[in-house]
Parts: sequence; structure tokens; C-alpha cells
Amino acid sequence: MSTVNLSSALKALKRSVWVFHLNSGSCNGCDIEVLDALTPYFDVERFGIKLVASPRHADVVLFTGPITRETLPKVIRALRAMPRPRMVLAIGSCAVGGGIWHDSYSVIGGYPKLEEILKKEGVVIDKVVFVPGCPARPEAIIYGVLVLLGVVEPKSKREVYKVE
Amino acid sequence: MVKKLRFVKLISVARKARTVTRKYPFEGPLITEEFRGEVRLDPKKCIGCGACIIICPPNALTLHDEGDVRVIRYFVGRCIFCGMCAEVCPTNAITITKEFELATLATEQLLRDLVHERVKCRICGKPFLPAKLLKAANDDIPGSDNYIDVCPECRAKLGLKGILEHRMG
Repeated sequence: MSTVNLSSALKALKRSVWVFHLNSGSCNGCDIEVLDALTPYFDVERFGIKLVASPRHADVVLFTGPITRETLPKVIRALRAMPRPRMVLAIGSCAVGGGIWHDSYSVIGGYPKLEEILKKEGVVIDKVVFVPGCPARPEAIIYGVLVLLGVVEPKSKREVYKVE
Repeated sequence: MVKKLRFVKLISVARKARTVTRKYPFEGPLITEEFRGEVRLDPKKCIGCGACIIICPPNALTLHDEGDVRVIRYFVGRCIFCGMCAEVCPTNAITITKEFELATLATEQLLRDLVHERVKCRICGKPFLPAKLLKAANDDIPGSDNYIDVCPECRAKLGLKGILEHRMG
């Protein structure tokens, strides 16, 4: 797929994205919050967001967990099965920076470290949004999706303070 | 026929229950009083003691002593929002905010740095601790003015010298 087609495809994804939920060894806290966002209470279907059962149907992967060694090959297979443009929403502290397991022997330690492995494997991810939170609130997940689709500008900026 | 129209009853039930869906982006989020979000480090109050760095369970707060500065780095992406840093801070420089809309496109945007200038040792000229921390320590233990701007290594030598001078006369 050429880059021109890809950018137009990303533009077309402004609405009604289909999401696939990928758990890579999460504690299920974030998974419950993802489920919460899909219930009528927060009802993401009003944005056209729909949960699908296969990565082959999905535009966005809702990625939770710090990627344990056991899940790593399955994660790569699931991401490779997705059609381009591939987008990832890394949900929770574990997926963003490894969380409390960041230096554990049995985990890869968050999405940024997985990205390097994916590059070696030749799997291209077109857009990633990081949603911190332990667990991330359903509202935070909705906000993350809106950032991913380019509806809102991300609020969080790098800050450096000097102490006098 | 009547059996088929039984679902009409639901309309009255639904009218009583009303819509439960939160209109989140268009109305305020559902945040309770005890919700903990991103923590904020106050550069005016922080003395750079590092108590929060020791207590932080996922090492979201880290301390970097690089050259003339001591950097207290807060990585929101790894924070589990337990609030233990705010509890342990001796000067109450850390406050828990209700901020949760932290989604970004790059992890670098989730870093918050607090840069302290380090004081240079009077004897060897090596930078060692932030000025504010030394002042706080001096206020805690009065009478240590002689040793306050001396690095730990030089302090040991200075102390030994004092003892020896006292003994030998």
C-alpha cells in the first residue's frame, strides 16, 4: 500500500472504527474498564466504535498488559493479522511503560519495548496512542480514541520545571 | 395479538428509568472525591530529598544526579496513582490532582522534570546536594554550619582532622 493511499485511509477512519481487544497478560483491571466503556453506561457505539472478535476485522487494537514472554508470539501474530492502517491504543500503565512490572524478568515491559521487536519482525504500526491510568478510566479510554482519530489535540505535554 | 404487543410495556419502564448513558465528551466526567489522578510536583516546595523516589512502587519517580543538576523525573505512563509519594513528602510538595485525560502520541510527552541546582563542595568543588535540601537539613540539626557545604567524603576527612587536632593538641 502506498503512503498516499495510507494517509487517505487514515482520514477515512475518522468515524466508526472497529476495535479488537488484545490482552497481553494484564491483571484484568484495564480489561474491565474496556468492557465498561462498551456498556450502555458509557456507550462508545454512539461514536460508531464496535468490538469485533477477530484482528482481521479490526482497525484499532485495544492493547492491555505488559506483554509477558508467553503472550509475545501471539501478540505479534495478532498484530500481523490486522489490515493496514494498523492502529494501537495502549491502555493502562502496564502497556504504556511496563507499570509495576517494568523490570520483571518475565515481561517485555510495555508497548515501547514491543515496538522495537515489531520493527525487527517487520510489522508496521501506523499510529499509537498511549493512555496512562491504573486502570485507565472508561472516560480516559474514550479520550484516547478521540486523540487516536485526531478529533482532539492531546492535552498532556512534557514539562520541565527549574527550582530556584 | 396481545401477547405480541407485550413489549410495549417496556416503554413505560424505559420512561421511568430514563437514559443512563453518560454524554462524556460533552459533559463532565464521573469523578468521585477520592479519585486519584496525575500527581503534581510543586517546584516551590520541593527540596529534592528523594523520599518519594524510595517509596514509589513502580519507579515512576526517578532521581538522576547529572553534573550540576539533580533531576527528579516523573513518568506518568508508569505511575499507578497510589498516592504514596504525596503521603511521604516531608514538605507536602506533591499533590494529587484529578487529571486523567493523559492520552498522548509519544511517551516523551508523559515526562515531568524537576531540575534542582546542586551545591558545590567548599573543599573539593564537586557538586553534591541541592541547596534547598542542605538548608532544610541545617534547620533540622542546628549547629552544623561548619559542615553544611562540604561533600560527604570531605566531611569525613574534616571530622577526622578535627578529632586528631583535638587529641594531639
